[in-house]
Amino acid sequence: MTNSAQTIDPALYAAVTDAVRAEARKVLESGAVAAVVGWQAGRRAGTAMPTIVTDPAKAADLIFSPACVNNLALYLTKAKKEVRGKGKIAIVAKGCDLKALVGLMGENQLKREELHIIGVVCAGVQGAAADRSLPLSEATIAGKCRECTVHTPENTDVTVGTLTELPHFTPTESAELARLEAMTPAERWSFWKEHFSRCIRCYACRQVCPFCYCEQCLCDRNRPQAVETTPRPAGNMAWHIVRAMHLAGRCAGCAECERACPMDIPLNLLNRKMARELKELYGHEAGFKPKEKGPLAEYREDDDQSFIK
Amino acid sequence: MSRIGVFVCHCGENISRTVDVEKVAAEAARIPGVAYATDYKYMCSDPGQGLLKKAVAEHKLDGIVVAACSPRMHEKTFRNAAKSAGLNPFLCEMANIREHCSWVHEDREEATEKASAIVEMMVARVKKDRKLVPITVPVTKRALVIGGGIAGIQAALDIADAGHRVVLVEREPSIGGHMAQLSETFPTLDCSQCIMTPKMVDVANHPNITLHTYSEIEAVEGYIGNFQITVRKKARSVIEEKCTGCGVCSAKCPQKKIPNTFDKNLGFRPAIYVPFPQAVPNTPVIDREHCTRFINGKCGVCQKVCGPGAIDYEQEDRLIVEPVGAIVVATGFELYSISEKPKGSPIKGYGEFGHGTIPDVIDGLTFERLASASGPTGGKIIRPSDGKEPKQVVFVQCVGSRAREKGISYCSKICCMYTAKHTMLYKHKVHDGQAYVFFMDARTPGKSYDEFWRRAIEEEEAVYIRGMVSRLYQKGDKVVVMGSDVHVGVQVEIEADLVVLATAVQPRAGADTLAQKLGISYDSYHFYSEAHAKLKPVECATAGIYLAGACQGPKDIPDTVSQASAAAAKVMTLFARDELEREPIVAKVNERNCVACLYCKKVCPYGAVEEKEIRDRQGNLIRVVAYVNPGVCGGCGTCQASCPSKSVELDGYTDEQIMAMIETL
Amino acid sequence: MHAHKENHDFEPKIIAFVCTWCTYAGADLAGTSRMQYPANTRVVKFPCTGRIDPVFILRAFQKGADGVLVSGCHPGDCHYMAGNFHARRRFAAFRALLDFIGVDLQRLQFSWVSAAEGGKWVEVATELTERVRALGPMREFKELEAEEQWSGVIDTPELQEAYNNIP
Repeated sequence: MTNSAQTIDPALYAAVTDAVRAEARKVLESGAVAAVVGWQAGRRAGTAMPTIVTDPAKAADLIFSPACVNNLALYLTKAKKEVRGKGKIAIVAKGCDLKALVGLMGENQLKREELHIIGVVCAGVQGAAADRSLPLSEATIAGKCRECTVHTPENTDVTVGTLTELPHFTPTESAELARLEAMTPAERWSFWKEHFSRCIRCYACRQVCPFCYCEQCLCDRNRPQAVETTPRPAGNMAWHIVRAMHLAGRCAGCAECERACPMDIPLNLLNRKMARELKELYGHEAGFKPKEKGPLAEYREDDDQSFIK
Repeated sequence: MSRIGVFVCHCGENISRTVDVEKVAAEAARIPGVAYATDYKYMCSDPGQGLLKKAVAEHKLDGIVVAACSPRMHEKTFRNAAKSAGLNPFLCEMANIREHCSWVHEDREEATEKASAIVEMMVARVKKDRKLVPITVPVTKRALVIGGGIAGIQAALDIADAGHRVVLVEREPSIGGHMAQLSETFPTLDCSQCIMTPKMVDVANHPNITLHTYSEIEAVEGYIGNFQITVRKKARSVIEEKCTGCGVCSAKCPQKKIPNTFDKNLGFRPAIYVPFPQAVPNTPVIDREHCTRFINGKCGVCQKVCGPGAIDYEQEDRLIVEPVGAIVVATGFELYSISEKPKGSPIKGYGEFGHGTIPDVIDGLTFERLASASGPTGGKIIRPSDGKEPKQVVFVQCVGSRAREKGISYCSKICCMYTAKHTMLYKHKVHDGQAYVFFMDARTPGKSYDEFWRRAIEEEEAVYIRGMVSRLYQKGDKVVVMGSDVHVGVQVEIEADLVVLATAVQPRAGADTLAQKLGISYDSYHFYSEAHAKLKPVECATAGIYLAGACQGPKDIPDTVSQASAAAAKVMTLFARDELEREPIVAKVNERNCVACLYCKKVCPYGAVEEKEIRDRQGNLIRVVAYVNPGVCGGCGTCQASCPSKSVELDGYTDEQIMAMIETL
Repeated sequence: MHAHKENHDFEPKIIAFVCTWCTYAGADLAGTSRMQYPANTRVVKFPCTGRIDPVFILRAFQKGADGVLVSGCHPGDCHYMAGNFHARRRFAAFRALLDFIGVDLQRLQFSWVSAAEGGKWVEVATELTERVRALGPMREFKELEAEEQWSGVIDTPELQEAYNNIP
């Protein structure tokens, strides 16, 4: 299959897969790491799922494909965090995943020296509703990948793969952001009200977010109850506002929340908006290098205060 | 169910005039959890407090709301009353229905409704109040005094005489301040230097006083009883320990034509100098800006002539850290200048007085140097332009002061008296001279003050003209003073030989910067704010910091000395105890929920947050959590607002308390 | 003579979150100076604006506030050195978020009022009250409070039938 201007050549992913397997085998055999966090093929064709490989022989199970949507950073701080007790861990990371890793390092949750980061060159992953049998194209690529600036992860221990020329994709996220910003406050309110009213408070967004690593979420507390816990519109609104505020300056845009949401609430839109505000206000961009202090943990004496009387 | 007592105060008529206090009490009684509600004329009075104590016992109250004045006024009073009734004082809250209600609203119905709402809010808060136990911290019995004028000297001597160590920091090369520049002092006309210099020597010789001159405060950390201050000792270029103060260096310095700022630029001084002969310490300093050695390296005379080898051109600024328990701020004042003000300053200069370009228009302090026996003229009154003796001198009061259009609306307090003094000193030295004074009012309250002023007019023949001066300009060798006499209702024009302006007393430039380092507040003119205008005139709102002298507001010498001694007394009261009770408004970490993202540590202005390792019995690290050092925590709560999981909580301002208040909306 | 009380159709509820050192003291000064302002404001005292959590603002709107004021010390005057600097960034971000959600920012006022600015406190409290009074009640959050969850809406004949059959 040739790479037309419209689709991304699957050969790129095949090459990355080979290199990931080789690197994983090498670091496991040498004992440099205790485990490799990566993806393996899912049970259904064309899917992938996270895996933790400790046996060098199993390194051949690892894959990289457009179906490797999950942000594996989650597996170091939440889902499988006990794996870190085994020693140094290798983790396969796309550019967007790496941003989360970097953010977590800044927040004292991960130590760089305890990780062996295998960066993968990534042309994009599939959108939530994509036909998995098709190569990545305008129709199947995820929203976040359309505007990706980190195809090639930097400051990793090793980065595998070579980026080929990519087709042009419509920047749907920024287009949607611009559309919302052009609305009146009342229109925006009804937009979000409609979306949030559908929320069933399954908290998949929270569960899948690498930055929601609190032992107890503020929104689960009942003394005092800051946010109503039943899935009523009032509590839903509060939950999503609190969530966006807590991620402001931290979220680097892996968009896992939006992917995991069963009710198709455009959650990443809120995150992107906050990221852009903090960049405009304080020149901060999350996830590029571990920072001791995020934009809301530091200040400058001459920060903008035009909104304060 | 709680058993809250609500006590609604009439405050005489201050509250009851606009708020229906009985209705407020009746409505409070209906709030669930309120076991007792009443109103009383003066809750803060002895019987009022008695009523509260009795009710606690009789109704088994477990929380109290006193609806009265601002908690800034009487929270302590009522918490103490609650304490003596056997209740934890932190279970007592005040509902501010005076400053925030009866005094600011005229409509009785609205004010009553609002008062009830405020009470309801505070009842909700009290229900969530927790018992708190004051924190005890050790007291470092060592005081810092900032400023070596008469205020700082007096405070330092008093504290040192009480047996405590004092660190005195002065910005200039010598202590003495403005008082060392004065000639005679009102109302007794005794020589300022004669009463000042012995005190300066006392400071130098006092075993309990460490003196840092030519030094400034670099940083202040900590809190009452436990401050850490960093002093920047500026490079003097002279080794203090070696210098004998012989003065040969100054005599031999080839640079001799540097305007002498101590003499208000009337005379000159060399590049290596002591500001005045009686300086303490009598150790010179090299003015690096004007010293040839520092400008082009082509000198070195002072080093050659210095017997003890005290000159050190390589000396650098040194930072000294001193632990202290209390701070007295006595940074004094400076005089308003009629020259053009920097852009952005709200205070305007006097273009109509020539913006300081007429040489024979001087300010009061310059006149002091002219009249001083140790001044540049040896006490002979001559005018700066040609050295002639002025035969007609016009004094103008309220230059800058009480001039809202110039940006200052306050009275500088000392000018009426010193102008009267100036007319006398002038008359004593120039017998055939005539003094005129333009004045708005003569403000002479004070012991023997009015008599002094009357003497200036009646015995020393000063002519007082009530009215302001509209313009000053040079005409030949005279200065024409155009003003009005409002008593007679005519315009007055006087051709004067010399004009002396009583310019306004202002805080020192940089007073705001120092205040920010200290964490104390200041008013719009940058005078430091006392904690209470009447009842706490020397304390700052920041515990452990006290004010003395003109940095708090214009003051004459007797007032300054009194306030300095009062500040010293406050310091001694603090030092009378080995330990200090601190309000337990500090943050605590819920270690079960903390995930050590250390957001709290990143935002803490006090550096009070540390990492704490939790280990099992075998010593294996289980996890890391944040820990707040209660001694260092200042109690701002920024950590809690920043903590994503609210695992750090500020006692006294918990989320529960705040949310409960919001719920009553 | 006292000014005649004006009658308004709508009296907004304003909640003010203020720091104790500057704005609370400034409001006290307005009282000791006997300045007059509308009686709509309820003050909640904090040690510092640094302590004020955006959640409180959200909660206030949910509980019926028509306007929220957040006020503290001027930059550089913070009793705790830097609490207000942190608050300034936090609220700049939160404000942007609320705006994006569609909250009318005219209902949310931030100000620096020092202990010496009794007059400014009166000005800020009056302005916000009058502005919110003109805007009318904050309906958005109140309506949400009253709304039922989407799954509880009986919007099809089948659901209605099933509902009717519940014994």
